[in-house]
Amino acid sequence: MSAVIAPAGAPPAAPKPAGFIRRLFRDKPLGAAGGVVFLVFLFCGIFADVLSPYGMNEINPLDRLQSPSWAHPFGTDNLGRDMLSRCLHGAQLSVIIGLTAASLATIVSVVIGIATGYLGGKFDLVTQRFVDAWMSFPELIILIVVVSVLGPGMPQIIGTLGLLLGIAGSRIIRSAVVSVRENMYVHAAQSIGSGTFRILWRHILPNIMPPIIVLFTTRVGAVILAESGLSFLGLGVPPPAPTWGGLLSGSGRTYMFQGPWLALAPGLCLTVVVYATNVFGDALRDLLDPRLRGSR
Amino acid sequence: MKSSTLHATLGRLALGGALLLGSTALLAQNKPVPMDKAEAPKYGGTLSIAPVYYTISALTWDPADWNWKSNHDMGQYAENLFAADLSKSRKYGGKHQFVADAYLPLDAIRGEIAESWRWMENPLRLEVKVRQGVMFPEKKGVMAARELVADDVVASYNNLDKSPKRIPAYFDHLAKVEATGKHTVLFTFKDYFAEWDYRFGWGYYSNIFPREVLEKGAKDWKNHNGSGPFMLTDFVNGNSTTFTKNPNYWDKERLGGQEYKLPFVDRVIYRTIKDEAASYAALRTGRIDMHENIRWSAVDELKKNAPGLKWSKTLAWSGTFLAMRVDQKPFTDIRVRRALNMAVNKQEIVKTFWGGNAELFAYPQHPDYIGYFEPLSSMPDSVKELFTYDPEKAKKLLAEAGFPNGFTFKVQVNANSPVHMDLLPMVGAYLEKVGVKIQIEPLEYGAFLSRMTSKTHSAGYFMDNGHTNPTTTIRKSFVTNQTWNPSMWADPALDKRVATMYAERDEGKRQQMLREMTREIVDKAPYIWLPTPYTFQAWWPWVKNYDGELRAGAVRPGPIYARIWIDQDLKKKMGFK
Amino acid sequence: MQAYILRRLLALIPTLFFASVIVFTTVRLIPGDVIDLMLSQNDISASKMDREALMEVLGLDKPMWSQYLTWVGSLFQGDMGNSLWQSTPVTERLAERLPVTFELGLLAILIGLTIALPIGVYSAIRQDTAGDYIARSFSILLLAVPSFWLGTMVVVIPSIYFGWSPEVSYISFSEDPIGNLKQMLVPAAVLGAALSAVTMRMTRTMMLEVLRQDYIRTAMAKGLPERLVVFRHALRNALIPVVTLVGLQAPLVIGGAVIMEQIFGIPGMGTLLLDAVNQRDYPIITGVFLVVGLAVMVINLLVDLSYGLLDPRVRVRS
Repeated sequence: MSAVIAPAGAPPAAPKPAGFIRRLFRDKPLGAAGGVVFLVFLFCGIFADVLSPYGMNEINPLDRLQSPSWAHPFGTDNLGRDMLSRCLHGAQLSVIIGLTAASLATIVSVVIGIATGYLGGKFDLVTQRFVDAWMSFPELIILIVVVSVLGPGMPQIIGTLGLLLGIAGSRIIRSAVVSVRENMYVHAAQSIGSGTFRILWRHILPNIMPPIIVLFTTRVGAVILAESGLSFLGLGVPPPAPTWGGLLSGSGRTYMFQGPWLALAPGLCLTVVVYATNVFGDALRDLLDPRLRGSR
Repeated sequence: MKSSTLHATLGRLALGGALLLGSTALLAQNKPVPMDKAEAPKYGGTLSIAPVYYTISALTWDPADWNWKSNHDMGQYAENLFAADLSKSRKYGGKHQFVADAYLPLDAIRGEIAESWRWMENPLRLEVKVRQGVMFPEKKGVMAARELVADDVVASYNNLDKSPKRIPAYFDHLAKVEATGKHTVLFTFKDYFAEWDYRFGWGYYSNIFPREVLEKGAKDWKNHNGSGPFMLTDFVNGNSTTFTKNPNYWDKERLGGQEYKLPFVDRVIYRTIKDEAASYAALRTGRIDMHENIRWSAVDELKKNAPGLKWSKTLAWSGTFLAMRVDQKPFTDIRVRRALNMAVNKQEIVKTFWGGNAELFAYPQHPDYIGYFEPLSSMPDSVKELFTYDPEKAKKLLAEAGFPNGFTFKVQVNANSPVHMDLLPMVGAYLEKVGVKIQIEPLEYGAFLSRMTSKTHSAGYFMDNGHTNPTTTIRKSFVTNQTWNPSMWADPALDKRVATMYAERDEGKRQQMLREMTREIVDKAPYIWLPTPYTFQAWWPWVKNYDGELRAGAVRPGPIYARIWIDQDLKKKMGFK
Repeated sequence: MQAYILRRLLALIPTLFFASVIVFTTVRLIPGDVIDLMLSQNDISASKMDREALMEVLGLDKPMWSQYLTWVGSLFQGDMGNSLWQSTPVTERLAERLPVTFELGLLAILIGLTIALPIGVYSAIRQDTAGDYIARSFSILLLAVPSFWLGTMVVVIPSIYFGWSPEVSYISFSEDPIGNLKQMLVPAAVLGAALSAVTMRMTRTMMLEVLRQDYIRTAMAKGLPERLVVFRHALRNALIPVVTLVGLQAPLVIGGAVIMEQIFGIPGMGTLLLDAVNQRDYPIITGVFLVVGLAVMVINLLVDLSYGLLDPRVRVRS
């Protein structure tokens, strides 16, 4: 493997925001669309209380199972609750759960990945054993134990998913770090006596940004999907919390023939948001990768 | 039961009979056909079923584990002393549907292994003559084919009684069980006990196994053997249980004027399908021939997409309610409990939550319990009041009891039950209108249940509870310190009355006692009584001689499946393999 | 190399020990203990005497460390104890379910790779063309639909419109290999489709990284055919994180894909575990953990070893 000759110590040029956005829309239209959707999702999530025409849990038995109309753009569910309001609140829950857990997961992955990948040696070996032990447990059982001991709820799910996905993802970061640390300029920096932290911060981290970004964006989607799977198994955030996963696996499946909108509304929201975060993440990665810039 | 009180019982049945026909108004699209006019059956074929408990496989095969579900799985090949008299089914013009989970009406019990029985006094004994010529098939590695004898009955009883996992006090009414002849079993009673036939007779723990199976080890299903119409031939845990025809089964059935050897089908297969939607898909495509537990919300779509199916419906065999701990304030005050009942619009719940597929009042007695059940219309006014929506009256009562501005209380609920997780907030919405707020605490099922068993549950506890049978339904929920007594009801007077009821030999008198006790307990409102939904059964038209019956003993469908026959030509004609 | 393998295998032992202690204790932390559940089957009473009698029968009355030691002791004899509910050996239950899950997982991973690798490579070498976009979009779409929904649709829709639904009866491989494969194919495909998305993206990302390397450009400039460059040089190096990813999917192979199992009625490890947890059947839970843990650790070891095959630098360094 030949060396990549780059001036040792030169940090990647920080992208200027305006130019960056222009490039995003120009070169990566799909990703840009994803980004827009992601922002809409965030906006809906944050302002769900204001945007919702009805309460999240306004039970109105007489209005049950109404198909979409002007009064209820997403229809009503089997208890007469407005689906648009419930989906908006679902967005709020997804924003909270998704972003928090994904951030936690990414931080955990990066810390462990960098520490073990760069330092190697005994520390790597011991930590890897610990990671092995942790990862050999099916996610499910850990979630059940946590949910059973602490009771079903959001913080437990966020914490557990974050930790689980984080530790699992650390291996990806680690392998990326392993690949990067063999590069010549890292050796060069080491040989001129740069401190470990400086090397990590200026050489390793920027060069593993692509996998980190991809990791974060896939984690957001993965967390939202994981919560939906948990709801199906009865372990998700308990009703009446209208998480999209809970709506889809609960009344969505039970009433899929009488009220297809009960599944379509949360299902589309879920799919569109996960799709958007992934596509957006891809585009970001493509644009931020220092070695791809300039090679176009 | 061959006793002198039969006539008296029949007299009392007139009361219940008319009520039954009214209250369990069946779909009545399957017209009853008297047994002598029934179609001539054919032999052969496989019956593939999604049974009532289609999401779970056998929990254990060892009868000494005292597991409630065993009877359901073992009852195909293991027989009991008594079983339902299926000739009294509604499909033959009789009046019983045989859907109760653990109840057989006295006028519809026949001897299965027992050929005849008589009571003897001083001391109170029951002498049971075991049917002769009933053969256990050969089981390789376990036993040769041989006749069933009284020793097997005694051995089966002892196996249960001596088990370390036995339910304490379950057989306390019996002093001794012994074989006094090759085909005679003698039960010596300490005192008369009304549930004697349920406890060891046709109930949950009444299977008769050959001695050899119990000695070899009944834990392993491969060792199992019995005198029943089928033999256990395969078990794939979590997927299916297969029973194959016993070619030397002793029983016959008279149909269309002729007698036929049973069973008709070659094989019965229980399907374990964890996912509800997948179970309906299997029914639609004919992979299963019948489905015993279809939710009301799936019925319309199935009727549309599988129009050939035949249908039946039954009221669920458990009551739904919000139990209030009467040992904690504010539920010590009956006015508060009654007020909460009046605050909930139960009629609206029937109409909107259950889509009309529910009955307002069907617990603690089930409408199928002829002679024990009294419909709401014949209840005193104070009971009727509890089922009339009147939020104003509720608020007045609450104010009288010292809560003009309402109060807040915690309700624990099973997080794994989507129905409960939907219904409880609805109830909560009604309560809020009279100022009472609930704090819902969802718990995972195991955790939820153990709160009740350890009596550490919250003031409100939302649950289902099985009826079981007319005597047990009152005993298990309202006698002091019972496991399934979530309202912590503790009334020594009631405890005494229940004990007296158990010792009463005359069924008519027992029915009257139970009717009174039921009336009173409903009136005292330890629970917010909620409507009971219907569940539906569906089967393809090639499944013959079946009209939605479910149990011929406690959760035991064996004899029913033995009498079903498959019209394989019809199945092929309809385009299914 | 051999010393390395030996060291890794030896390192498994403390890990397993550590894991087993954690599992053993945490499982008993779950509230709603098995005694309560068993007693609630009985509708009479749950007096203190009954609790104690039952605990004694099940061997749960001894202190935790004693139970643990008993368990470890019997492990060396190949006995994982008996199910608390069924009193049948845990090893039997595991032996029933393990091959089923293994088969499902293997098929799923294979299907996933079959979909992911070609699309990932194609997307990388034809970066930003229409083909790249379509391929990527499709794969992300598969990822974005929850697997239980996909599974439900696969089961329900054909039953209405085509009169077809998946086989309900589990056909074992030894009985009827073709039938078994036919049955497993559908859930494996749904599972594999979901897995493929992540693998595809990782493949594409790493391929892109590698393709940018100077030595690739050199090779291209030299006039080597693209296919040779891609497969001989680029793919091998891009495969390291991909192999990692596949290794990460290993718990799925062993631990079971509970959701697919539930929807398609496959009697695998996932449902065994879920049922056991619901029933608080501790010996089964710990047994499953142990087997899964061991299997995953072995798979990870294989993954790490494969790094050496794929990337000589790593081999030298270790």
